[in-house]
Amino acid sequence: MIEIENLHKTFNRARVLNGLTLRVRAGETKVVIGRSGAGKSVLLKNIMGIVRPDGGSIRIGGTEVTTLPERAYDAVRRDMGLVFQGGALFDSLNVGENVGFVLDEFTKLPADEKRQRVAHALSLVGLGGIEEMLPSELSGGMRKRVSLARVLCMGPRIILYDEPTSEVDPITSDAIQRLIVAMRDRLKVTSIVVMHDMNAAYKIADSIAMIYLGQVIADGTPDEIRRSTHPVVRQFINGDALGPVTDDESMRFGHVK
Amino acid sequence: MAWISLTRAKEVALAFIAYIGELTLLFCRTIVMALTPPFNAYRFLSQAQRVGPGSFLIACLVALFVGMIMALQMAYMMIKLSAEIYIPNVIAVSLTRELGPVLTALIVAGRVGAGITAEIGTMVVTEQVDALKAFATNPVRYLVVPRFLALGVMLPVLSVFAVFVGVFGGFLICNYKLSISAHMYWSMVSEALVMKDIVTGLVKTAFFGMIIATVGCYEGLNVKGGADGVGRATTLSVVRSFILIIAFDCLFTFIFYFLFNA
Repeated sequence: MIEIENLHKTFNRARVLNGLTLRVRAGETKVVIGRSGAGKSVLLKNIMGIVRPDGGSIRIGGTEVTTLPERAYDAVRRDMGLVFQGGALFDSLNVGENVGFVLDEFTKLPADEKRQRVAHALSLVGLGGIEEMLPSELSGGMRKRVSLARVLCMGPRIILYDEPTSEVDPITSDAIQRLIVAMRDRLKVTSIVVMHDMNAAYKIADSIAMIYLGQVIADGTPDEIRRSTHPVVRQFINGDALGPVTDDESMRFGHVK
Repeated sequence: MAWISLTRAKEVALAFIAYIGELTLLFCRTIVMALTPPFNAYRFLSQAQRVGPGSFLIACLVALFVGMIMALQMAYMMIKLSAEIYIPNVIAVSLTRELGPVLTALIVAGRVGAGITAEIGTMVVTEQVDALKAFATNPVRYLVVPRFLALGVMLPVLSVFAVFVGVFGGFLICNYKLSISAHMYWSMVSEALVMKDIVTGLVKTAFFGMIIATVGCYEGLNVKGGADGVGRATTLSVVRSFILIIAFDCLFTFIFYFLFNA
């Protein structure tokens, strides 16, 4: 479904992706882990075409997208959704308008049907009846869930999640994890989930890939990752301050959000 | 030392050329997108509402005072020459051709241009512009086109009101201080103004509106960093709009001079 080969991305002098290779099968939930600043969000933005890679290849559903012009890329984007880390809700629109953004922009559905679809998407994330609220009136967790509802409203085949469970309480975090699993089981959605929470990763992932120094250093099932003997992977999943990964590593290598 | 200054001057010149090039590119892309479907009247009207009524009072107030000041300053010299009767002509022509469009544009650049940069800059910082791209929505079409059209249409409207109020300000001084009758004042004004004065003033103002929108949106879309970056971009937006408005005013004056007086 998504095949990434030898991907490179540099911002000014900071090399963020350094020959990254990753494959995600159709209907699979792939969790991508790695330290803050390792390039996980940049990877998602490269897949969405928000930033373009310096080199390498990204194939989505068999289509090479790195060389696509913007208009052709838009057709690919309409099948994908990105849940942003901070929500990225449009401040000037209320929650209902945010969730129904794509319906307003690209469809000519009757207003009643739009309202129903918006209400359904919001109820899926447990936030029914808040259509009239403004993004500024929402908590961090609510913003994240509204952002997810906005993506669900599109009915995409691929969803990319940028740290969907960070900064939310454990109950909301579990609800979001269940939703990601349900999207895979019920709608066969292909997902890439960027996160740090290893417990959540084991729970929702079909496979886990770890990014280190701009490359994937481990890729396997949750059990394989749990049993990995790679010292960097071990240090990360155990959350050890001491190990091959040092504190100043991100300063030497990229650290770009 | 001289070599370093030369190198620095070259860098500044290249940066300036690149900046003008990027602005021109955004200007052209905006015009192309404004002329190609899909069109969205709602976004245009909501921006027009923010630009027009919001700036009306301040533009008229400034124009009123400028009209009064012009009448008083001219009276100082004209009375010596016994030519105070021509004050209405000078006020009408200079406000219509020059001061009305430029002052209105500067006021709107400070008020609306800065707001555009701050709003779009904040959208960039909070990834809302990235979200637009992720939802297959072109940020230029969604953000720049409505503001560009709103300013291009509303600035001439504001300028017409400002000119009228400015001329009225001149009338207050001429009538009450210089004893020029109302009938005399307004007939001198209508005699002095010809269609080309009005048309050139309006054409200039529409273009100034487009400059303010282009600069405001460009600076906003290119914000780097957080709140600090937004603040810096907002200041830059106002300063650069002011400079470009004055520079293009000079260019337009040259063009119209040779076009109509050659």
